[in-house]
This record gives sequence, C-alpha cells and structure tokens, in this order.
Amino acid sequence: MAGAFAEAGGHPLVEGLARVVGAEGGRIWLEPEQTSTCGGCHSAAACGVKSGQNTRRLEARRFVLDNEAGLKIGERVVVGISEYALIRASSIAYAVPLLSMIGGAVAAQLTFGNDGAAMIAAVAGLGFGVLVARGRAGRLLARGELTPRFLRRIAAGEECHVD
Amino acid sequence: MQDLILLIVGTALVNNVVLARFLGLCSFMGVTTKVDTAVGLGMATTFVMTVSSVLAWAVETYLLVPYGLGYLRTVTFILVIAAVVQFTESVVRKVSPSLFQTLGIYLPLITTNCAVLGIPLLNVHDKFNFIQSMLNGFGAALGFSMILAIFAGLRERLALADVPRLFMGPPIGFITASLLALAFMGFSGIHTN
Repeated sequence: MAGAFAEAGGHPLVEGLARVVGAEGGRIWLEPEQTSTCGGCHSAAACGVKSGQNTRRLEARRFVLDNEAGLKIGERVVVGISEYALIRASSIAYAVPLLSMIGGAVAAQLTFGNDGAAMIAAVAGLGFGVLVARGRAGRLLARGELTPRFLRRIAAGEECHVD
Repeated sequence: MQDLILLIVGTALVNNVVLARFLGLCSFMGVTTKVDTAVGLGMATTFVMTVSSVLAWAVETYLLVPYGLGYLRTVTFILVIAAVVQFTESVVRKVSPSLFQTLGIYLPLITTNCAVLGIPLLNVHDKFNFIQSMLNGFGAALGFSMILAIFAGLRERLALADVPRLFMGPPIGFITASLLALAFMGFSGIHTN
C-alpha cells in the first residue's frame, strides 16, 4: 500500500494501486498490486520470495468496497488509506505484543533473577499483548479506519503515478 | 536495571546495526524512499528481530550447545527467523485480517534482512543471557527502525532538491548515508563513569 501522498480531509493519505477482481451486487473485490516493495526490486529474480508466493499473498490481501463508482472487473484504480491509520495499525500489530513481552520478561528477571522465569513471563506477556492487539484492531476496524478508500480510476494506458 | 537500559541505548545508537555494523543495508537503501514504508517495515522488523533473538538464544542454550551442534548455528538461526516471520504473518492474519491486508506486504522482506540473522549471532558471540539477548535484539531493531525513518525523510527531501545529474539516485543516497554514519559516530564519544 506504499505510494504517493495525497490530502483528504486534512489527513495525508497513502495511496496504492488495486485491480477489480470481482463484482457482485453493489460491492466489488479488489486485489492490491505489487508496487515498490517485495518482488518489485532489481533483485527480484534472485530473491527467495517467488512469484507464486506473491500471487498467493496478494489473493490473501483482497478487500471489499461498495461499488459507488460503477467499476467493472479488470479496471485498475487508486485506493488510499490514512497515513495515521497505517502507523496506528503498525503499532497495534507489532508494538503492543512486543512491549508486553519485554515488560513481562524484564519484570520477571528483576523479581526472580533467572532465565526460566523470564522466558515464561515473556511468553505470557506476548500472549496477553496479542489479545490486547486483537481487541484494539477490532475497534479500529469498527470505525472503518483500516478500510482503503476508492480515490480514482486509472485510464487504460495511463502510466502509474504511484511509485 | 541501569545495565539493561544502557544495553538498549548502546545498541540502538552507539553500535547501530546499520551505520556501525553495516548490516541490513539492502532494505536500508531499497525501502527508504517513503516514510510510511520505512515505518511499516521498521515496526515489523523490530518485532521479528526481538522474537528471533529470544528464540535463537533458547535454541542455542537448550539444543546446539548441549548436543555439540554449534556448526549448525547459522543454518538453524535462518530456520528460526523464517519460522518467526511465518508465525507472525499467521498470527496477524488470524488476529486481524484487515491489519494483514494493510501490513502483510512487509513481512517477506524481513526474511532476507541480514541484520535479523546478525543480531542473534552477535548475542552468541557476546555470551548474553536471555534478557540481554532480548534487549540487544530490541535495541538493535529500534536503531534500525530509527535509521530507516530518518533516511526515508531525508530521501523524500532529496527528491525535491536540486541535485547534480551525476549524483541523482543511489549516489546521493550513499553520500547522505555516509554523512549520517559520521553523525552517529558522535555517539561513540559518550562515556559513563
């Protein structure tokens, strides 16, 4: 979802490309296109992450939007997500479980002073952090902050403006 | 407690994994064109690097050393890192599919980051215990993420700067990185009494 910045409602947006892969009723299924990250670099041919794996990863990252713009299957569009939401999502997914794990391990080490207790506390802290992250991610999703927004169509033959 | 805090600060700033140890340079140069990409990769790397350090310590202490399998250390640690990345991806996907849609793209990049392998090997070399290994991994990852974000910000500004044609792209990137490394060398002058 890495891409150029745009302003919408005062919040900078991170833009990304997606292709419409399904449409039913008033909803469409979009698959993000690989842009500047894995598989897109000059070492892609020598990289251990193969194209088949990338295809499966992209399929797993499909998302649904309301088809208010009348999009058809095969059309390419630019979608955006708030930069603030992206950083919050990163914090929830990674920082909360990690800090919980480290906090548990350090507290156990200072209390009991042995590696075994610290290991058990680290595992317990990680599990607790994952549960907290799950709850907070659910609240973000309920507010719709993690859902990409349709921004504009990409005309056939138009060059990609998202690097 | 003071020792643990000093360990994190020392690893993040003085012995910075990118600018002092020259590890993880591929993602440093490749994924720092935008700040948002750098932050996403930095956080994912912080998680994987810390958990890998912990698991690698456990494998080293309870498997490799007791059974005399030290010659398999590098291969084993690579397997541990790959397993942690796979585990992280699965957990993020299960816990929140929407988070996975947003962040999952960064995880495969971590498996090819040599800094993630280098830190557990340095932990073994320095004979760190469990908590030291964990905090060394965390500090190194913090330093890596910080440099990624700083360098991404600099490159966003460089993209708008009037750079001579000969130096555009990677050359000015490397020059900027070397100046950043020189600036970070200043931290090595910090002494504690």
